[in-house]
Amino acid sequence: MDLSVNGPKVYVRIEKLYQRFAGTMVDMFGNLGNLITQTTVSLFAVTIILIILGLVASRNLRKRPGKLQVVTEKLVNMLYGLVADTMGKHNLHFAPYIGTLFLCSIFGSLIGTTAIFRSSTGDLSVTLAWALVTTGMVWYNNIKNFGFKAWLKGFTEPIVFMTPMNIVSEIAQPLSMAFRHFGNVAGGSVLTSLIYAALAVASKLLFGWLPAAVASLCPPILQAGIPAFLSLYFDFFSAFVQAFVFCLLTMVYVAGACPPPEEEVKSEK
Amino acid sequence: MKVVFDAFESFVGVNVWTMLFAWCNLLIIYLFLKKILFKPVKNMIDSRQQEVDDMYQNAETAEADAKAMKAEYEEKLAKANEESEEILRTAQRRAILKEEEILKEAAVEATRIRDRAEGEIAMEKKRMLGEIKDEVSGMAIDIAAAVIGREVSPTEHEQLIDSFIDELGEN
Repeated sequence: MDLSVNGPKVYVRIEKLYQRFAGTMVDMFGNLGNLITQTTVSLFAVTIILIILGLVASRNLRKRPGKLQVVTEKLVNMLYGLVADTMGKHNLHFAPYIGTLFLCSIFGSLIGTTAIFRSSTGDLSVTLAWALVTTGMVWYNNIKNFGFKAWLKGFTEPIVFMTPMNIVSEIAQPLSMAFRHFGNVAGGSVLTSLIYAALAVASKLLFGWLPAAVASLCPPILQAGIPAFLSLYFDFFSAFVQAFVFCLLTMVYVAGACPPPEEEVKSEK
Repeated sequence: MKVVFDAFESFVGVNVWTMLFAWCNLLIIYLFLKKILFKPVKNMIDSRQQEVDDMYQNAETAEADAKAMKAEYEEKLAKANEESEEILRTAQRRAILKEEEILKEAAVEATRIRDRAEGEIAMEKKRMLGEIKDEVSGMAIDIAAAVIGREVSPTEHEQLIDSFIDELGEN
């Protein structure tokens, strides 16, 4: 059984940078010389797919919608409804970003099923980049809505003792988001390849009693059906759930930094 | 820069370049989809919603107007009915009065005609009686002259003739 678990394949490398950092940095940052990898290609592929989809979906919008427009409107309405429910009506301007994040995530995960591209969300760099955007949005909105001092003061609450804890949790927030998404997608693909390999072995055992010449003609039949069902869970269901969770967490964190305006609070009371 | 195909990145690792590309792509997709998809579709949904709301509003207004008009017309109709009945009643009353008047007039006229006719009849009778009396008296004179054998003068014997006729009349 021959199985290797790798990160994305490197396509273009900046040799000087690579030589300077290879071996000197911890493994996690040893990639500095790698300019273009499989993930980069996947990211651009997703970008192109989404741009085309966006153009197709928004083509000749009319008051009396066609079939495609009905679906598009339903989805956009669902998005705005979800954002309004989770973040409040005053935060509806975040909906396009949440929608973009969801589409990038789910297409980034599903593009791995094409066997041409590697899932872009199966690379920690991508999910970490997205998670850091969320953190940046949270900080920016905190400072904008409460002021820089109040934001800093927030770290010492409820008591000064808690400051280290608060800082750790602030760092853990994007890290946990990034690792959750990355881990689910990458783990799913690893599990799928493990099962493929295991099924290949099982197939061989199944035909092992035959003469060697006959057995080599028999297809690895066990590999044919079972992985499809696993793929439904690990690729499609997991991709959807992870995209949803990532967006939901982003919405919750950002909404925490964007409380409803004063008048609205009063009117609700 | 060198193109390589045999190397892999570590399974769990962070590549700053990939992060940069991820940010760029996210930004591009965000700006593009926001401009081309989310905003226009949302605007379309909102404007249609607005239109539907307006239509419902208009329909409600129109319905209220129609109801008000209906009530108005019904009121007018009821009034018109009442008026026509009133007119009919008045006309009937007037007709009855007129009828009575005509009847009364006719009765008066009839009485008048009868009275005149009776008067005329009485006068005629009187006249006839006078004529008959004259004739009879002539005849009587003639008969008397024949009986007496001489001329009887009406003027001389008027008294005699009259008494005779009176006696005849009594008989």
